Amino acid sequence: MDHNELLAVASELGYGLLESGAEIYRVEEAIQRLLHAYGIAQADPFVIPNCIIVSFATPGGEVLTQVRRIPSHGTDVDLLERYYDLGRRLCRETPPLEEAHTALREIRRTRKSYSLPVLLAAYFTSTAAFALFFGGSLRDAFCGGLCGLSVGMALYAMTILHANLFFKSMLGSALAAFLALALTALGLGEHPQIITIGAFMALVPGIIFTNAIRDVMAGDMVAGLSKIAEALLTGVAVALGAGCALTLARLFWGV
Amino acid sequence: MSMDILLPIFCAFLSCFCFSVIYNIHGGGILICAFGGALAWWVYLLTAPFFQDDIAQTFVAALVISAYAEVMARIRKCPVTGYLLVAIFPLVPGGGIYYTMEHAINGETDAFLASFLHTLGLAGAIAVGVLLVSSAVRMWTTFRRQNPVSRKETRP
Repeated sequence: MDHNELLAVASELGYGLLESGAEIYRVEEAIQRLLHAYGIAQADPFVIPNCIIVSFATPGGEVLTQVRRIPSHGTDVDLLERYYDLGRRLCRETPPLEEAHTALREIRRTRKSYSLPVLLAAYFTSTAAFALFFGGSLRDAFCGGLCGLSVGMALYAMTILHANLFFKSMLGSALAAFLALALTALGLGEHPQIITIGAFMALVPGIIFTNAIRDVMAGDMVAGLSKIAEALLTGVAVALGAGCALTLARLFWGV
Repeated sequence: MSMDILLPIFCAFLSCFCFSVIYNIHGGGILICAFGGALAWWVYLLTAPFFQDDIAQTFVAALVISAYAEVMARIRKCPVTGYLLVAIFPLVPGGGIYYTMEHAINGETDAFLASFLHTLGLAGAIAVGVLLVSSAVRMWTTFRRQNPVSRKETRP
């Protein structure tokens, strides 16, 4: 067996899992199980949120190591489930390595994602529903939906431009707060606070926070703490963005 | 159930449905997440008469929802993350962040501190809820691995 090829397959699987938002322990376990299944007695994967290190000794005594750097990434549950399934299948069936490599490439090639109109409709409906949820009227819900829609478009555009997470959250929430005030001033919305909070729900770092807690609980302190810091900073960014919009609006309009 | 309970639950369902689209969940997983969100808010409202404290209510809802996600993940043989992340959304203190910010720019230091601590409390309640269930499940799977009762697969 070509151990370099095995190393490449293992780190590619880890890369895919981590990139689609898996917890740290799950990535480490997947790599370890895969290497065990292919007959490596001792394997030491080390994973932090943006880096994977896989190291093992071949039966011949040679030590192989690979480092993969993960770019900043979001959460893609569909991709995560498919990598996870593949990882389990590889451990169960241990097919030839070329086949494993093809399967990994196949996942990346046949990546399913919703089209932009569907995503924007989802942003609209979810923020509208949250405006209702927080006690707004139907008109508030409509305005909340519009804010959510613009947040969705802004996030999409900034993701293409590779803007960082904090800037994205800040600009998104500033946009939402500003639109909420403008729509209320136009007489369409009734409660600008509720409209903004509805749109906030598309930006708040609930997902990062929950993931961070799971990492801390699994004992991956480095990953957990850096994700908690990320969640707190994102929360601050969301508050700052809306705060700037409100302050400016008060200065110029006196709302 | 009256309308003022049903409407928020339905809204939670609808928004979780849409958030699962945003996080790229396909097929039956969407419904699982949406029901999870509705369940979270139902538990939150149901426990209101006992606690009359939203931090405690959030904590219980987070407990229930984590257990629900673990069960669903085992039934569908998928990672827990996907279901948990979206279903927890109705509990996330978006309003808390907003009011904290508003008090801060109004210069109301006392109200700012109070709502800041309250928001942190809500986040902490979610954290402790998720944490208790995932550690309990971890201990249970370790126990099962060390004492295999049946031939059934016990992997997480």
